[in-house]
Amino acid sequence: MNRVVITGLGPVSSIGVGSRDFCSALLAGRSGIARIESFDTAGFPYVNAGEVRDFSPGEILTRLDPAQWGRSSQFAAAAARLAVRDAGLDPGRVAPGRAGAVVGTTSGESQVIEALTAQLVAGGWAAMSSELLDRVPADRLSNAVNLELGFAGESVTVCTACSASNYALGYAYDILAMGEADVMIAGGADSVCRWAHAGFYRLGALTEHACAPFDRDRSGIITGEGGAALLLETLQHAEARRARIYAEVLGYGLNCDASHMVSPDAASIAACMRLAHRRAGVQPEDIDYISAHGTGTLANDAVEAQAIFEVFGAAPPPVSSTKSMLGHTMGAASGFGAIASTLAIDRGFLPPTINWTTQDPALIGLDPVANTARQARVRVVQNDGFAFGGNNAIVIIGALT
Amino acid sequence: MTARLAVTGWSMLSGAGDDAVGLYDQPLPQPSGHALTGFDIRRQLGRKGTGFFDRATGLGVVVCGQAIADSGISLETIPADRIGVVLGTTAGSLKSTMDFSAETLTQDRPYLVNPGLFPNTVMNCVASQAAIWYGLKGVNVTVAGGALALFQVLRYATRVLARGYADVLLAGVVEEFTPHAAWAAHLAGRPPAGEGAAVFVLERADAARAAGRRPAAELLAVSTAFGQDMAACVHDVVARAGLDPAEAGPLAQAAADRQKQIMLDAGDCQAASAGLELAAVLAVHRAGQPPDGAVSLITARTREGGCGAAALKGYGHAGGHHG
Repeated sequence: MNRVVITGLGPVSSIGVGSRDFCSALLAGRSGIARIESFDTAGFPYVNAGEVRDFSPGEILTRLDPAQWGRSSQFAAAAARLAVRDAGLDPGRVAPGRAGAVVGTTSGESQVIEALTAQLVAGGWAAMSSELLDRVPADRLSNAVNLELGFAGESVTVCTACSASNYALGYAYDILAMGEADVMIAGGADSVCRWAHAGFYRLGALTEHACAPFDRDRSGIITGEGGAALLLETLQHAEARRARIYAEVLGYGLNCDASHMVSPDAASIAACMRLAHRRAGVQPEDIDYISAHGTGTLANDAVEAQAIFEVFGAAPPPVSSTKSMLGHTMGAASGFGAIASTLAIDRGFLPPTINWTTQDPALIGLDPVANTARQARVRVVQNDGFAFGGNNAIVIIGALT
Repeated sequence: MTARLAVTGWSMLSGAGDDAVGLYDQPLPQPSGHALTGFDIRRQLGRKGTGFFDRATGLGVVVCGQAIADSGISLETIPADRIGVVLGTTAGSLKSTMDFSAETLTQDRPYLVNPGLFPNTVMNCVASQAAIWYGLKGVNVTVAGGALALFQVLRYATRVLARGYADVLLAGVVEEFTPHAAWAAHLAGRPPAGEGAAVFVLERADAARAAGRRPAAELLAVSTAFGQDMAACVHDVVARAGLDPAEAGPLAQAAADRQKQIMLDAGDCQAASAGLELAAVLAVHRAGQPPDGAVSLITARTREGGCGAAALKGYGHAGGHHG
């Protein structure tokens, strides 16, 4: 089996585009939450989201014509382009059949589907635009990446909702470990949309101003968007081209609650953590930092913390949530978590959980890295991703040894 | 991808020959369509737990159950975390998503959506509901691949089994017939929409043999490619399956003919089409026609330049007819 390393990072996020800006934002504890601009919020009680403002795909993409693609595909392709640039890799020098993409998503081209819905409501069935209909299939997200980079290998869009980026990382890792590719883009993309904003509000899972994971008074998520891409290579390929190596993917675990569509299950999540540790060949005491799923809902954070205490005991490693800064970027979320985890290892710091004010008496012992990034030696990170449907996916990333 | 896989059970539902008249109140672009008019979620699965199921979820859950039954596997005999689900789609349920989205435009307040229907907008709904229904706690994944979804599902499943992440996988594809799908096909100038679901029980061939399960098929190789022509993809799969290259042409022609016939009979079932083709091959074997071990190809291509091909050997002796 090949060892698999991370050599490029491509975040397109509300707190920064490109690895340098994204890292600065994590260190500064910046918030990307602002008043929604992408849809008309009239009538909605809450009006904030983590939108990527001033996203200019045309300035990042070199081959893809943004006008032909939906926003989520643009996010995916732009993130991938940034990741190969960050890695110093000329995609033209890779054997096309040995390079591919696995992209995770929750809602695919949600803004395209919403535009079609608006046409249908306003003008009836025949009013739907065939051009938009052509952009509905979710496999366009990974196809966009391969077309942008000229890759001809695997093109897979994984749609396991909010843990989809971790699935993508895991699958890309397997493909490389098994020797079936040299280079893979892995990550995720999603766009802010009305229906998710409405759905989470009606579930009682949306908060008004600030997402405050692990805080006593946390009251929900804020929807977000973006594209997160990591360039994965076999260690051999990375060394042969003398690439800078950020970190190594040590392994991952997947399981399914098989109990409820929207309520997480602590025992199942704990089992997923143990599975990920076993596959990665690490023990709980090896983990220096947990990049939490940390949505900021009462239920998620309580259940995630319960699973952490069960697996790690009363004094687990520091646990923080990038969702406090980005909002919930859905299928991209665990991709951003993986980028933050990789930067944590490379740069030696713990990203903060911002908006934290009050200790939750039920979470005593859990260190959320409150509000301010902290310098730390980080060797091994656990990156959590959970989802509707009980699709749990946890990736373990470690410093190259 | 070296570990050979056995299909030890399978099932399919298709709207071939049926007529969608009366299925929906909304107008359809054509007076009829290919849909399973007799399919009723409550009648198949009961009322409990199915209240929010959309049509795709109902089809998927039913076919998963039929495939398990066909394999003769007793779920109690395998640890729940060693059985998984790998399903393919195009974009999930377009109807569920657009109906939910439309509520934000048509209700008195834009947030007055039905929260119980929210999970149906998420593309992993069918696979997750199947896991809940049958208590399957292993790897659970949904891939969006359109016409190539079956091939991506089979490749994903092959790797999961080769890596030892699971022992048994329900691998398949599901698409539903809805006015949304029918109009989308019509307005985009595609063949009329159909619907279908096909699920295949996959195990490592050696493990299936050890458990005394005789395969309905052995999967020899599955290829996908981007930006190549179909012939190159077929050549690749034939080579990796260890077949005589001279067989490629006739096998590919048979696959194309089968594809055409299923499109005529069942409509364009998008992600499900290739699943119906694989099921058609296995049905012919089960009917005892071709000799055991005869090789078939399944192929598909997308308009964006993707190709997929699978090579398999079929057998007539297996499945639910162990007696």
